[in-house]
Amino acid sequence: MADFYTLGLTYWRVIALTVLVLGVWIYGIYFNFKKWGMGSTGYQDELRHSFWLFIATWIHQAFKDGVWVFVKTFVLDVLLLRRTLRRSPVRWAMHITIFYGFVILAALSGVGLLLDTVIHFNLLGYAHQAEVIFDMMALPFDIFGYMLLFGATIGVARRVFLREVRARTSAYDVVLLGGVFLITITGFYAQWMRGNSFLVGDVFSYPIYAPHFALIHTLLALALFAIILPWSKYMHVIAAPLTILANRGGE
Amino acid sequence: MADAGNEKKPLVSGFLMSTQFMELDGCTRCQECMKWCPTFDVRQDRPGITPMYKIAKFRELLGSQYGLRAKLFGPKPLNEDEIDIWKDDAYMCTTCGVCGTVCESGINTVELWEAMRPNMVARGNGPYGKQSFFPGLLGKDRNPFQAKQSERLCWVPDDATVLESSEIAYFAGCTAAYRQQALAVASVRLMNALDIPFCMLGEDEWCCSSALVRTGQRDVMRDHAVHNVDALKDRGVKTVLYACAGCQRTATIDWPRWYEGYIPYKNIPLSFYLRDKIRSGEVEWKRPLNFKVTYHDPCHNGRHLMHVNGRDVAFEAPRDILKSIPGVQFEDMARSREFQRCCGAGGGVKAGIPDLALDCAKARMGDAELVAADVITSTCPFCRRNIMDGRAAMEGCDVKVLDVVEMMTAAMGLDITIPDNPYMQFQEQDVLVCDEDVCKVETIERKAEGKDLVGEAH
Repeated sequence: MADFYTLGLTYWRVIALTVLVLGVWIYGIYFNFKKWGMGSTGYQDELRHSFWLFIATWIHQAFKDGVWVFVKTFVLDVLLLRRTLRRSPVRWAMHITIFYGFVILAALSGVGLLLDTVIHFNLLGYAHQAEVIFDMMALPFDIFGYMLLFGATIGVARRVFLREVRARTSAYDVVLLGGVFLITITGFYAQWMRGNSFLVGDVFSYPIYAPHFALIHTLLALALFAIILPWSKYMHVIAAPLTILANRGGE
Repeated sequence: MADAGNEKKPLVSGFLMSTQFMELDGCTRCQECMKWCPTFDVRQDRPGITPMYKIAKFRELLGSQYGLRAKLFGPKPLNEDEIDIWKDDAYMCTTCGVCGTVCESGINTVELWEAMRPNMVARGNGPYGKQSFFPGLLGKDRNPFQAKQSERLCWVPDDATVLESSEIAYFAGCTAAYRQQALAVASVRLMNALDIPFCMLGEDEWCCSSALVRTGQRDVMRDHAVHNVDALKDRGVKTVLYACAGCQRTATIDWPRWYEGYIPYKNIPLSFYLRDKIRSGEVEWKRPLNFKVTYHDPCHNGRHLMHVNGRDVAFEAPRDILKSIPGVQFEDMARSREFQRCCGAGGGVKAGIPDLALDCAKARMGDAELVAADVITSTCPFCRRNIMDGRAAMEGCDVKVLDVVEMMTAAMGLDITIPDNPYMQFQEQDVLVCDEDVCKVETIERKAEGKDLVGEAH
């Protein structure tokens, strides 16, 4: 594991970077909630400028029709993206694979970092076991990586091959969708070069450059999703589910 | 060119709820709304009028005032010309709500547009064109036609029975009272024939003020909402029947927002009430109507109310009536129910941007032609008016435009002759003219211009 921390990055620096990025992310979410909280609580009320007001208004809206409607909306419209499926199965496949691919990979990365910490400090003497578990994670990383790649490919293909979609694609869309695609690809390269990809084994193993790709992948992921997310179109990842819930599934 | 002096006015005021600010960030830019937007369909050179672009622009403007950069370095000065363009885009919308129906993020777009517009009015950017006449007209005359309130019921036939007070009220609306009186007469005849005791508000019926809500001019609206609710309560009404989709939408969704007390009555579309009468066997058909008929779902009592009243009330009741009329061959247009194409008149577009309303109406009439309909029906006098205008602007189109209630009245063999009244010369509508066994549709051309500064208002 030690060769992962190269190019000037040490374990502590990675931890510090992660904490910093998470801090920026949390502040970003707070900033957005407060910005939304600028609005009123009802029809022609006054502006409020309050983080807590947004939280209260959202809860009021989301539970207006009762807990059952909230749960139903959460499962059908947020987790299963029912509204998207009704409109376009292709877009649904894109969204659901990107969404679950990304969320589960992010969770796996978090677990990976935790295992890395156990290995690094040999916490409770479990370093060996942690390494075994870490190696076992190659398969889920592969599965959800391919899932994300599948979704990102549909996303890029739509923007490239569908004339109408292409015509209305802004730089915003290009940067952000391109970002997802790039993160996915670099993630694969990093895994392949490390030689621990479940599917391709060590066919592409190239340990000298593996850390470079891992570093690019990590930095891109942290930068795009943790720093850019709250300040860009990516905010829809948070705002769209909250909107669906607030509107009890929408029209 | 934008008005000088607006620069220092805040971009938003308290018309937008905090969850609506969130909705702006919820747009995924999937472009689905662009496929369905009826105004973009006839203005392909203006993508800015579509929900996706309107939201993006508003988000950008908000970002310049309240985003991270603004927090760190101060807000950018607002470019009033840019805001004016955005205002134009925001008003080139009929608030039909199909974008909300297809939105993957579930954004409640109608409420969003109707919250954005009063902000623009408060800043001095809105409303658009002749829409600015609405508050003055309604504030003074209580209807948009500068007609006399004392003549609200001038069309009621002498032999018709309209009570002073009753548990059931018929809210006719301004258009049926002054411009499409055949609908009002048909409604009264039907209810009399079916022994439904009902009252009307007469002079006390003020415009529902839909046009004010849709165009963001909310000041006079409060007076009208409170007045109408109180007038209905004073008469002990428990059920209000509407043959006007716009009035029904406003009474159901908007009036309660302004009225602070308890509202004891239900708002029900007349078509739904009449379908019950057909189902209970109280309706006796006297003559067939041998037409191929299609149905245009008004946005206001369809999409806008489908979650309030249910899909059956919103979409199926008028269809069931038409299908039960002898002789009628019914066929839906390709876009129907919650995916219907707006006629183009709503949201103040008919008054503010009439050429846009007309192009939308032509597109809708084109839909009716595709199913080879003889008659396109609706339950909204305002849709009817605009679709008729669309037909007049088309070459060789002879599809007639009627209301479901009039079709039913004629099939029941009732007399729908409009009694002579001061507004005869302003009537402009297709009417069913029947002899003993056969009905045909004739078009009544308007004989005088009247004082219609803004056309009908919804």
